[in-house]
Amino acid sequence: MKHFLPVTFFVVLAAAPAALAQKWEVGVAGGGNFYTSKSFTNPLGNADAKLANGFIVSGWLGNNSGRLLGGELRYDYEQSSLQLSSGGTNVSFGAHTQAVHYDFLLNFAGREARISPFVAGGAGVKVYSGTGREQAFQPLSNIALLTKTNQLKPMISLGGGVKFRISSAIQFRAEVHDYLTPFPNSVIAPAQGSKVGGWLSDFVAQAGLAWTF
Amino acid sequence: MLKSYWCKIALTASLAAAAWGATFGKVVSIGGHASDLALDEPRGVLYIANFTANRVEVMSLATNAVQTSINVAAQPSSLALSPDGHFLVVAHYGNAAPPASSSNAITVIDLTSNGKQTFALASPPLGVAFGINNQALVVTSTDFLLLNPASGTTKELDTIAGLVAKTLPQPPASFPTNIVAASVAASGDGMFIYGFGDTLLFKYDVSNNILTPGFYTSTPTLGPRAVSVSQDGSYFTFGWTLKDPSFFNISQFANISGALNVGTSAIDSARNTIYAQMPPPGTTLPAPVMQIVDADNLAPRSQIRLPENFAGKSVLSSDGSTLYGVSDSGVMVLGVGSLSRAHQVAATVQDIVFRGNFCDRRIATQSLTITDPGGGNTAFNISSNTSGLSVSPSSGVTPATVSVRVDPNVFANQKGTVAATLTITSSQSVNVPTPVRVLINSRQPEQRGVFVDVPGKLVDLLADPFRNRFYVLRQDTNQVLVFDGGNNTQIATLRTGNTPMGMAITFDQRYLLVGCDNSHYLNVYDLETLQPTQPVRMFGGDYVQSVAASSNAILAVTRSASGGDPNIHSIDLGLRMSTRLPNLGVYQNKVALNTVLTASTNGASIMAASADGSLLLYDANVGSFTVSRKDFTALGGAYAASNFNLYVAGTNLLDSSLVPITQFEAGTGSASGFAFVDQFAFRTTAPSAGTGQSTAPGVIQRVDLSNVTNTVSLATQMTEAPLLGGTGSAFTRTLAPLYNRNAIINLTVSGFTVLPWTYDASVAAPRINKIVNAADLSGGIAPGGLITVFGAQLSPVNLATSEIPLPTALADSCLTVNGLPVPILFVSPNQLNAQMPFETVGNVSMILRTPGGSSDTFNLQVIPTAPSVFHSGVAGPNTDIPTVIRNTNGELVTDSDPIHKDDILVIFLTGMGATAPAVPTGMPAPLNPLAVALTKPTVTIGDTQLGLLYWGLAPGEVGVYQINVQVPSNIKSGLDLPLTISQGGFSSSLSVRVVE
Repeated sequence: MKHFLPVTFFVVLAAAPAALAQKWEVGVAGGGNFYTSKSFTNPLGNADAKLANGFIVSGWLGNNSGRLLGGELRYDYEQSSLQLSSGGTNVSFGAHTQAVHYDFLLNFAGREARISPFVAGGAGVKVYSGTGREQAFQPLSNIALLTKTNQLKPMISLGGGVKFRISSAIQFRAEVHDYLTPFPNSVIAPAQGSKVGGWLSDFVAQAGLAWTF
Repeated sequence: MLKSYWCKIALTASLAAAAWGATFGKVVSIGGHASDLALDEPRGVLYIANFTANRVEVMSLATNAVQTSINVAAQPSSLALSPDGHFLVVAHYGNAAPPASSSNAITVIDLTSNGKQTFALASPPLGVAFGINNQALVVTSTDFLLLNPASGTTKELDTIAGLVAKTLPQPPASFPTNIVAASVAASGDGMFIYGFGDTLLFKYDVSNNILTPGFYTSTPTLGPRAVSVSQDGSYFTFGWTLKDPSFFNISQFANISGALNVGTSAIDSARNTIYAQMPPPGTTLPAPVMQIVDADNLAPRSQIRLPENFAGKSVLSSDGSTLYGVSDSGVMVLGVGSLSRAHQVAATVQDIVFRGNFCDRRIATQSLTITDPGGGNTAFNISSNTSGLSVSPSSGVTPATVSVRVDPNVFANQKGTVAATLTITSSQSVNVPTPVRVLINSRQPEQRGVFVDVPGKLVDLLADPFRNRFYVLRQDTNQVLVFDGGNNTQIATLRTGNTPMGMAITFDQRYLLVGCDNSHYLNVYDLETLQPTQPVRMFGGDYVQSVAASSNAILAVTRSASGGDPNIHSIDLGLRMSTRLPNLGVYQNKVALNTVLTASTNGASIMAASADGSLLLYDANVGSFTVSRKDFTALGGAYAASNFNLYVAGTNLLDSSLVPITQFEAGTGSASGFAFVDQFAFRTTAPSAGTGQSTAPGVIQRVDLSNVTNTVSLATQMTEAPLLGGTGSAFTRTLAPLYNRNAIINLTVSGFTVLPWTYDASVAAPRINKIVNAADLSGGIAPGGLITVFGAQLSPVNLATSEIPLPTALADSCLTVNGLPVPILFVSPNQLNAQMPFETVGNVSMILRTPGGSSDTFNLQVIPTAPSVFHSGVAGPNTDIPTVIRNTNGELVTDSDPIHKDDILVIFLTGMGATAPAVPTGMPAPLNPLAVALTKPTVTIGDTQLGLLYWGLAPGEVGVYQINVQVPSNIKSGLDLPLTISQGGFSSSLSVRVVE
């Protein structure tokens, strides 16, 4: 992971809100996710590829720079598996992803409000990691190859949610996001003659707690 | 059953045992005759009943010395230790003849307080054993008693009538096993107690308190007088028998004297092993030898020399490491768990095969490795019994490699196969080394067939009527060997009872039946799964000699277990039972012992042929025997039944009433095999060679049944002789045409010989179209590399060999390069694989010789190095994958198992040329030292060079090289990158996928 996330990236994204010296927030959340699939096309046949539904945990450091505007640096870890299916054949291969992104938050109520809906949007990077056991024969390998390797992709984050103030320092958050990346075509690699492209959507629903200070 | 080379081997081994060798085990003399023993491991002692000195000797397990003795009442005959270790019960056999008064008694020794109590018994006790409930079963000549050792009370379980106990005094040189005449023992878990005497046998179910007594007769006597019971009581040994809880013999030892006072047996359930001494018949006892056999069917594993004879019961320590047995001097202690550390000697192979051929008359040499299985250094001698066969050195210390040399010129006139013997002896070893059989074949181009070496005594052959398989019955190891009819390789081994005699396949083609001369069961195997199914229990415990299946009956010729006449049983496969037929139609159910059965393949009839010249016919339509004749004084050799109401026994062709129609010629030798195929037949004969198998080739004849008088002119000489019968095994079934009519299998001197169906057709000369390397089938060929010859009429059959060194003639084909014989791995009509000799380089000429003639000369160029990667890998449905292996997971490199940075790859290839040290052509590469290629290769992926770790011959392989490389961390990734191997100006490439 450290090979793909330069330290400077963290520094730049975190430093901007910090400089405003406003209300800070740290939090953790967990939930589930599901991916859209993409089709490989090949003269030998087509196959749908995606990452399987899995679980996600995340943590963030946020700053509310104004009464309604904020931002947060977020880390997400998803445990999943690569999946390939064609006809009645399904192939699975262990995988996980890690993402770091900065999202701007627009709250619809002030910091002191008990319930505060918000929308979020931002960008970052996501690392796809194939972790399964490589074998000399993998079904559907004539169409696509589920691969034990890592691949870094830019990521766009869109989402929204609701903050519930439990006490003066603790908030409960429920939120949904769509993390969009270009298709990770090294981890799910096209075989000779196959084509794949487009963006992969990762819909995430999470709930968590944040501490403000 | 057949004249036996193996009998000679056994005899040789026995004589060797008498003349040579150290012994295994320690004798502890007790100054009297031991009658029983009991092991007390918590106290570290063995209790030994000294029958004649009226003592219980207490032997230390640590020192194997008698440390104390407990004086007890007269004639302690049996001992038992309670499972809780509290009580030792001693039975006293004091059955004095009047007017003296008897002193039959039981002594209970409290081992915690050293207290002793003796209780008088009305009848002489025959044995005692404890169950898990800490109560002792006492067997007397009149009843079964249950003794509570704590209270000293007894309860009668049952009475015994009609048993006569011996009285004292007895004549000199009588032993406790003869006098007391019984032995009793409990299972390891204490749940069952079994025992037997001269006529009595019983089982006692301890937990259910159920006693099952019975009576038996036995010829010879059921010695040695020793019982050993498995851990769970599911099987046990009585004397020379291995029984199940219903007292049927799962198997029994063969060739035994039945002496009551010599020998022993002990079951080690955890290791599926029985240790036994079973003296052979005869008035003079040979040097004592212990057999180690499989516990399920008594198949022999090894023989160990003993310092003296066992003489009754044996027990094993709980961890199976030490065997304690009653012996002539008292007790013998054998550390069987450390047997591997004792000096032993063995050859690593059973057979060595020398295939002479018309291309190569040079002296042939092969290596034989003599080892001590325990890894020790043991001195040995090895000698040949045959002129023209020599060994060097003739003595040495293990591990040692002995050079076995054959001068083909000595055997040139033989034309068949000589089965010679290398005898191994050692004054240090405790085992009886098995001799090595050396098969020396000399053949001429006109001789047909390819023989396959199968060690052991082969006694029957069947072709599967439905599957492309055939079954060979190996009697010496109790096995059915299942061979694939397509490539003649063994695909399965089925375990039978002891001494299998004959096979049959049921009419529905689902089951294989095997009868055994030393088992009360007929083995049944499912031919779809090749797994054993529930066997058939033979009525009266009779022993199956031969079996055959018609459409409505399965019949078996049996040897009577009760001493009656041999007779015929009907088998009910549904009930897994047999019944002795009350009669054979209008005839008595009585046949000669040496009788065989054979069924027509349409299931209409079964013929029985007896060595005394009798013939019987079972008619399936009638459901009974319809013919019985005795037109001959003796019969033997081939036997068969056709679907067209014709039968063969010996040299006689018989009609539907078994009346002789005509005789086949006998000029080519004795009849060995006969097989009807539609309205013609195959027949084999071999010249008789006295007591052994023929060293002449023997012939096969294709018989026109409408004109059988002129078969001599149709005779074709075989590569080696078919097997002939012998004393006690007059009949032979040695010929089996495969159902798909691709080949004819013959049991022959070395194992079996495969003949193509059209063996007698005129054969066209071979034609070579192309010669390439065997790895990627490209044109680069180097010395020592494997090559593939493509062409036509290269061989009449498909055959691969696993013989080492590789033969220079295989399946009638021999290949030469510039006149030098080329070792061959595989032959087929259109392809031949071989190893280019290391001596060959430059422009060369190759010629292939077959019985059809010689090919035209094929010219090619052999270059010093031509590395070419094999494309023989298989992954799932994908084939022809280059043999590049990732060391990380041991799998082939493919797109789904791509190369990663820092991977170590192992590349298998051929054509890397000469090595240091040099390896002889046809021989496998050594492991130490490794044979490194003289010319160093380079390996690249794209433009990145990989780090070389090893480049040379793959150890243990012939003509196969390997390169080990490490992928650097700066390797570039890609889906289709060239992996290139360059050596001495020659390069070959293949495509690989690399990922980060």
